Amino acid sequence: MHKSLWAGIALFTVSFASRGGAQGALSLEGLGYPTGGLSARAEGTGGGVADFDALSTVSPASVAGVGSPALFLQYSPEFRRVTSPAGSATTTTARFPLVVGVLPIGESWTMALSSSTFLDRSSETSLSRVEVVGGPTDTVTVTEQNKVLGAIDDFRLALAWSTSPRFRIGVGGHAFAGSNRITFSQLFPDSTKFISSAQAGRISYAGFAASVGMEFRPSRVIGFAISGRKGGDLRAQSGDTAIGKGRLPDHYSGSVTFEGIPGVIVSARAAHDNWSSLNSLSSSGIQAFDGWDIGGGVEATGPRIMQRIVTVRAGARFRTLPFGFNGEKVSEKTFAAGLGVPLTRDRASLDIAIQRAARTAGSDVKERGFILSVGLRVSP
Amino acid sequence: MKLSPILPRVFAAAALFVSISSCSENLDSTGVCDVLCTQIGGAVQNITLDAVLVDTTVQALSGLGTEPGLLLASRGDTLDTRVVIRFDSLPATFVPTGDTAQPIASVDSAYIRLMLDTTTIKGTDPVTIEAYDVDTTANDTSSAAVLALFRPDRFISSQTFLRAQLTDTLKYFISNAAVLTRIQSGAALRVGLRAVSVGSSQLRFISTEGSFGPEMFFRATPDTLTAPLTVLPFSRTPVGEAIRAANLSDYTLIAKAPPPAPPSVLAVGGLPARRVYILFDIPSNIIDSATIIRATLLLNQLPNTGIDPTDTVAFLPQVVLAGKAVTDPAKAAQIIGAISVDTLRLRPGDAGPANVELASAIAIWRTVKPDTLSRAIVLKSVSEGNSPLELRFSSSEDVVAALRPRLRISFTSKVPLRLP
Repeated sequence: MHKSLWAGIALFTVSFASRGGAQGALSLEGLGYPTGGLSARAEGTGGGVADFDALSTVSPASVAGVGSPALFLQYSPEFRRVTSPAGSATTTTARFPLVVGVLPIGESWTMALSSSTFLDRSSETSLSRVEVVGGPTDTVTVTEQNKVLGAIDDFRLALAWSTSPRFRIGVGGHAFAGSNRITFSQLFPDSTKFISSAQAGRISYAGFAASVGMEFRPSRVIGFAISGRKGGDLRAQSGDTAIGKGRLPDHYSGSVTFEGIPGVIVSARAAHDNWSSLNSLSSSGIQAFDGWDIGGGVEATGPRIMQRIVTVRAGARFRTLPFGFNGEKVSEKTFAAGLGVPLTRDRASLDIAIQRAARTAGSDVKERGFILSVGLRVSP
Repeated sequence: MKLSPILPRVFAAAALFVSISSCSENLDSTGVCDVLCTQIGGAVQNITLDAVLVDTTVQALSGLGTEPGLLLASRGDTLDTRVVIRFDSLPATFVPTGDTAQPIASVDSAYIRLMLDTTTIKGTDPVTIEAYDVDTTANDTSSAAVLALFRPDRFISSQTFLRAQLTDTLKYFISNAAVLTRIQSGAALRVGLRAVSVGSSQLRFISTEGSFGPEMFFRATPDTLTAPLTVLPFSRTPVGEAIRAANLSDYTLIAKAPPPAPPSVLAVGGLPARRVYILFDIPSNIIDSATIIRATLLLNQLPNTGIDPTDTVAFLPQVVLAGKAVTDPAKAAQIIGAISVDTLRLRPGDAGPANVELASAIAIWRTVKPDTLSRAIVLKSVSEGNSPLELRFSSSEDVVAALRPRLRISFTSKVPLRLP
């Protein structure tokens, strides 16, 4: 066959080669796993107190309840095990999903600056296949290694107003930014015959959103909170080239707390995310599903240890993760327990939560994980 | 509600321990990839191109005496090679133990130590090595002039070795008188060695270029307390050309060699040594736009039954480093660089397909523009100049198109690192 014709065939195949994602876990499909912006305290109660919690980045109104300047940092490693009929994988993902700084301004206003993980895509996979390379009988095992590091983060500036604990209102401006650093390698066993290759790239994301929240406590016993976030465009680019555009998902949530039992706070929350607005940010057709996030829990005054009253928490949560697997929704059930310990005469506090998460997508693939969250709040 | 005060402490301690132990990430989900991962890279495409622009056989012009070995062969009508060792600088004095320097007045136990590559010995019959005085004022590199000196009046000595005596270190004793005569007259001692055997015989000695070259030893006094003198090969000519003179301190002289391959055939090896030069015309869009994972030069081997057809010849592809300014293939084929340590081994008498892997060359060409580095390779025998074995291949002049050299390239698409 003529050389130029072969060259044409080569270019054709280059242009239409297959591609797709290779995330290696149900929770890491698509753009990644949403950590939710919940503090260790809120996670310990199944998310029930999230709309009231100043250290969670759900409602901008909640920052008004912090009382004093505070700095909060949270570390949340996840220990995950994914099982499939073909095998299993155990991973450890170290995350720092939340950093919050809160500063009261005057009697009525409070400002907060925070960074929380929106979608974490950190993953590493290795897939082998047999290919004919060379002559018709020359088969060789090709190993594709794909490593993705990075996340889209939510940087929020919140401003809240409150003159009494009965009513708080707040607004927030969000900048979503981050990147996925991708390393893709194709490895061959014999370097004298084959050339292994490696590609590296970075996909950057940028978008904006605005949020509003409100708390209302008609009595000492009960409280209500609602919040919403309206998403703007989320753009993705590789180098200087725009490679995709979607809408940040709109988010609505409401929480209710009941404090009718002395020393006990019972809370519940329902939230909805329009994740499907991210559908256009996929090159392989991975489907995003709108989903509910429902949870509740109890926070109670626990035993006194070393002159400190420890708060204990427990909760449960059910939610739909943004990105499906094989066209099916991925659901996550979480059971959580936690505690809070005041430190240095209440100028600092340590919150710890452990969550047991189970994720399914209506298939033989099961995913189980423990998420340990350790949050430290310091009020200078 | 009453909780044990121990529980929170245990919980906090466990949390601290787990937090510390989780500092190192392990993201590898390979175990479930068969189900949860999708192929990212494109399927491998294999195409065969008639990409050979120039293919030709050229001489290995590295020069007489540059080989790492000295081939002494007597293969009947097929092959006859001699070895020349030049001792152009002989000592005139020696220092007896406990005495001062004295002129050399006698020579005893003179021998040339030769390091023999025993793995390449051919023949089982005893072999006699004859030494001749091949000193001449004729042109240094004139083989005919030197060969003419292997005649009776130039005979120096001979020594016969049984096959069992052919060990890795040979002591070849030569005439003491011949050495003494050259010392006393201030003349050069140029020894030409010729093998004589009832049957076929072939020996390969290590040359000076091979780091363990010949050395001559002799005693200038019967007193064994005085150490023997050592003389290394040295050539005074060509005058003013130190490198060529060094090469000519010991070299192989070809008296008779197998007939060369026809011009229309590509030949690797043989005596005098030859190489194959191949210049490719690879479409730049393949090199630039695709990820080449394998490149194979497809050759058709032709049988060469001339000499040792069942022996093995190892050869290597090497990339031509000459720029486009060097247009003469014979010259370009001398400016080469190693790209592979994995040799291809073929038997000269065999016929059929032979594949030469060029992955390493492609890796180099991918990074250098063709204007800077031509897409050319050289096929070179590992024992170039030291072995009469010659491999032959069909060239692009072969009447059967399918037997001509071709280039098979396997590649995948370059994967755009896109959204999931």
